[in-house]
Amino acid sequence: MAGMELLSDQGFRIDGRKPHELRRIRFKKGVFRQADGSAYLEQGNTKVLAAVYGPHEIRGSRGKALHDKLLINCQYSMATFSTQDRKRRPRGDRKAQEMTSHLKQTFDAVVMTELFPKVQLDIFVEVLQSDGGNYCASVNAATLALVDAGIPMKDYVIACSGSHMRDTPIVDMNHLEESSGGAEVIMAILPRCDQIVFLEMNSRLHEDHLSGVMDHVMVGCKDIFNVLNQQVQDELCQKTELDKIVTTG
Amino acid sequence: MAEQFKMAQPKEYFKKFLENDIRPDNRELGEFRPTVLNIGCVSTAEGSALVKLGNTTVMCGVKAEVAQPDADKPKDGFLVPNVELSALCSPSFRPGPPGEQAQVLSQNMADLLQTSKCINLEDLCICPGKLVWVLHIDLVCLDYDGNVMDACTLALISALKNTSLPAVTVDEDTGDIKTDPTSLSNLPVSCCPVSTSFIIFDHNVLLVDPTNEEERLATGAVTVVVEGENLVSIYKPGGSALTDDQIETCIDRAVERSREASKLIKETLYSIDR
Repeated sequence: MAGMELLSDQGFRIDGRKPHELRRIRFKKGVFRQADGSAYLEQGNTKVLAAVYGPHEIRGSRGKALHDKLLINCQYSMATFSTQDRKRRPRGDRKAQEMTSHLKQTFDAVVMTELFPKVQLDIFVEVLQSDGGNYCASVNAATLALVDAGIPMKDYVIACSGSHMRDTPIVDMNHLEESSGGAEVIMAILPRCDQIVFLEMNSRLHEDHLSGVMDHVMVGCKDIFNVLNQQVQDELCQKTELDKIVTTG
Repeated sequence: MAEQFKMAQPKEYFKKFLENDIRPDNRELGEFRPTVLNIGCVSTAEGSALVKLGNTTVMCGVKAEVAQPDADKPKDGFLVPNVELSALCSPSFRPGPPGEQAQVLSQNMADLLQTSKCINLEDLCICPGKLVWVLHIDLVCLDYDGNVMDACTLALISALKNTSLPAVTVDEDTGDIKTDPTSLSNLPVSCCPVSTSFIIFDHNVLLVDPTNEEERLATGAVTVVVEGENLVSIYKPGGSALTDDQIETCIDRAVERSREASKLIKETLYSIDR
């Protein structure tokens, strides 16, 4: 049974966390000069970079332009050294294509696309170190990068993963827990509106457990949101304080 | 006012700064941007390094695989460098296959490894004729603000110095390969080649460590790779002609830079060992 080693009798997970505990989150906005918005995010050992360019004129075929909405172009790429075994194709393989389209669909729902017709927004995500929760870290990092770029959005998009192990719902899995074969529920929500933007579940899960896991993942997302929002607000306050000093001093 | 002048006549704008022996970002003509080095940042890689040269950021990861050696070189391992300039690092790069610049940089890295002989390929041998290490050295540019070459070489050497390989045993009879992840040995890197890049502006002014804007205005470029007091290579791909004296100045500056950079690498490695 997969859950045996991953959740001890005392209720500790393989990395010493409690079932509802998130991994340590550290992030920094505005790490790149070239990009219009950028962010670096660490969730435990998963390290992700996001860069946003735009809105700018459509590159490539003009035919792709949407006459009434912003065209969001995503690219999800994993560095070749990000996984234990070297990744031969950083992008373009099926998993990356799937991730790319999931990211695009997620952000299509949140960015206020009606404000920028006929132009394009590029979101690039690069995974430097992968230890589970790649999609979640990518979404969170991309949200921060969009905030850094000043792109109007309805709300933050925060993603978190969860599973059900030995009758306990767990939250924010690392690579070992993901690959154990248990069910995995990944959700991306708008924390302030309590709305689900993206939901994916794979492997088998009894329907009685589903709502429990989903509730825990929602709480996990809101916790992540609090951590991210707190720091973003603090940085903003500091910046406006500095601006006040500069303009009045 | 200055912004419009800069946009309308970038060359004249730049010349105004050079008249006072200074550059727009307040550097002297021979001054490097502040260099930040972080070694061993990615734990999934056998060796890793992150270099920030001003705003230019390059991340290097070394992954090791095993393979059969070449029949005519049974004791030599393989070193495979690859530089990636993706759309992430600059609006001037489009998503798609590697462009010309990335391919040229990859080849430059390969040449550097070969000519400087900083890694003895026989050190990568596990079992002569049967199994050798293949080191994939992947350099990813994260922020492109000029002088990617120098950032790449610094990241490359730092990551190689950080690389440790597990002990591998090959069973003679069954051919079984056993890796022991607990016994790691550091990869021996015999020397520390450092590159210094210059651009030639207006056919006669040499500027070290160009930013992206300066590279766009350049009429030529030179890269000098130095190891200790020895010259490893000089790379001058066309562009404005230079005199002997100018090349001498470049070499002198490169030797100075090599000292600074080797010291930085040593100090960083020492600080992570503690």
